[in-house]
Amino acid sequence: MSYYDVDAILTDGEKVPCTFELDVPYLGHLDNSTTGLKPGTALSLPLWLAEMLALASTGDSKAPLILNMPPCLSEQVIAALRADPRSVTLREQNVHLYGVGVRMLDLFDERELGNTLRKTFVVRAGEVGLHARKADDGSLGGQGEEFLRGLEEWERSLFRRAHEGVKSAKEWTEKVKKS
Amino acid sequence: MDIDDILREVDPTSSGVPNETSDLQSLTRLWVAERSAPELLEWPSGGLFERINDRIKAQIEKIEILTGDMDPKTNFALIVIQTELERYKFLVRSYLRARIAKIDKHTLHYLSSEELRNRLSETELAYATRHQALLHNHYLSSFLSSFPTQLQNLNDTAGNVSMIDSPDLDAAVFIRMLRDRPVTGQGTDADITLNASNGEVLILRWSSAKSIVEDGDAELV
Amino acid sequence: MALPLPPGLVPSEVAFLCEMEHVTIVPRQRLESIELLSGATPSLRPPRREDIPLWLALLLKKQRRANILPPPWLHVDSLRDLIHHETVTDPTGWSLPPPPPVRADGRGNARRLNSDATTVLSPPFLPSCTSSAPAGALPYHWFEFAEMLLAHASDDVPSASDVRSLLRDLQEVRAAKMRTSIAGLESGVDGVMSLLGVGAMELSESRGFVTGVVEGVRKLGASAEASRREEEEERGGADDDEPSDDDMGI
Repeated sequence: MSYYDVDAILTDGEKVPCTFELDVPYLGHLDNSTTGLKPGTALSLPLWLAEMLALASTGDSKAPLILNMPPCLSEQVIAALRADPRSVTLREQNVHLYGVGVRMLDLFDERELGNTLRKTFVVRAGEVGLHARKADDGSLGGQGEEFLRGLEEWERSLFRRAHEGVKSAKEWTEKVKKS
Repeated sequence: MDIDDILREVDPTSSGVPNETSDLQSLTRLWVAERSAPELLEWPSGGLFERINDRIKAQIEKIEILTGDMDPKTNFALIVIQTELERYKFLVRSYLRARIAKIDKHTLHYLSSEELRNRLSETELAYATRHQALLHNHYLSSFLSSFPTQLQNLNDTAGNVSMIDSPDLDAAVFIRMLRDRPVTGQGTDADITLNASNGEVLILRWSSAKSIVEDGDAELV
Repeated sequence: MALPLPPGLVPSEVAFLCEMEHVTIVPRQRLESIELLSGATPSLRPPRREDIPLWLALLLKKQRRANILPPPWLHVDSLRDLIHHETVTDPTGWSLPPPPPVRADGRGNARRLNSDATTVLSPPFLPSCTSSAPAGALPYHWFEFAEMLLAHASDDVPSASDVRSLLRDLQEVRAAKMRTSIAGLESGVDGVMSLLGVGAMELSESRGFVTGVVEGVRKLGASAEASRREEEEERGGADDDEPSDDDMGI
């Protein structure tokens, strides 16, 4: 991760579900409670904080909280992606789905999840490439537009790169013809 | 005519190729490489740039002499000479600008070690050092000085993230082989070795390609 | 003044490179040799054919001082063969580039790129667009070369309109191949991928997309790769460079 990378910083702010393992006085306001946080309290915390606390060890070698898989990477979503990567509106699940995925894969040894995400990315990327080529000649169609609206951030940036390439090659070809 | 006959007429090594052609090939290759590599490459040793700059200077002087001559026939020659000169200047300029873009982007990184500093030419090193000093002063006077001292660093590495941004050496690059040889690329599930042939274009990580390119067995495209 | 361009050559730079390709001309006027930075041009004596850089050939053409001889691969029959090859013979790969010059460094010396020793030549410094280039093989700069020739010297290209439409077909067939080439990444084979036969403009057009996909796959697989390397380390690096079947992750 790069220090000045805006996308990485935004991904860092994505919330993940956590369960507190310890009694934490004075932090009740995080859970709208007047007393402190009790063990077992479920809370959503931003990744940067959750990760730090999940990996920190207190005196009795127990981390202050347990970090859980966020809903965007739940069994259901993953099952749907396995069935047909193209049919899931990733953006509705999480704008930074792959970014969060990478962070989760760093924390959990989830090979199957990793394989599914990779496959999903490649299959959808093929589709993104196709649409990037068609985007300017008006042959996209309603289904194509819907797919493009459902792209998460990595995919959007991939679409921009792909489209930029197609566009500049086309512009060059037009220019040569006119010269 | 047999294809082999045609091919035999060409010797791919430059023994037999005039110096001017091999210099142009070298300059072109350096330019394409610098435009394609994710990191700053080494400044060429061996006096290529000095040679090319000298020749450009001499050519400019020649044009000045020829400009006095109004004979239409030499005039066309003049157009050709000027056109070519512009092409050379473009190559040199674009090469230098591509390098400056990389130095600007990761100045602290390229100043951070002897090995990296050695990649810069003398003028580039002077530029990078002064540029960084200017930038630092600007940051200091506009906001850094109002921070607590321990937060004023621009090269902090706390929290597992270094403030010194560096190029991604695993970025994907395209190379074209200059001779037949096996090429090993590091991958996610496996490191693959491929028997690549002269002229073949491959995509792989820069970290896997770098030594092959440095050996002169392939070039960036 | 830093160059504000992304990594990799953009189309205008690719075209600039292509203009260094040598092409065969038939001079219509005499022209004495000119001392250039890249060496002296041949003295032109009609109708003796000469090979000169494309940028110079186009300059001469504009002034009606020469005609350009299109390379054999740009003829209608050759293009038809190529399309047949790309659609029927090998619908997945690109057609092969012209064979590289055979006497590749006989002494087997690898030469340092930056030394001032001899330099191995590669496109655009190989004669793959001259009249002696082989038919039926697309050189690295095929697309931009053909476009520039058709734009500035279409009267020198036999059946120019047929050539134009065949080129469009070829371009379409090959564009689809670039997209399918990344499908291989689905099964996780991303160490090194061959794009044998791909052209310069095609690369420029797809570079952002292809590298974006490869890098996305790498980032998503980073933790899997790290643990694979750890395991291999533990096994004492028993398998060297050759990946065994179970390494392929199938």
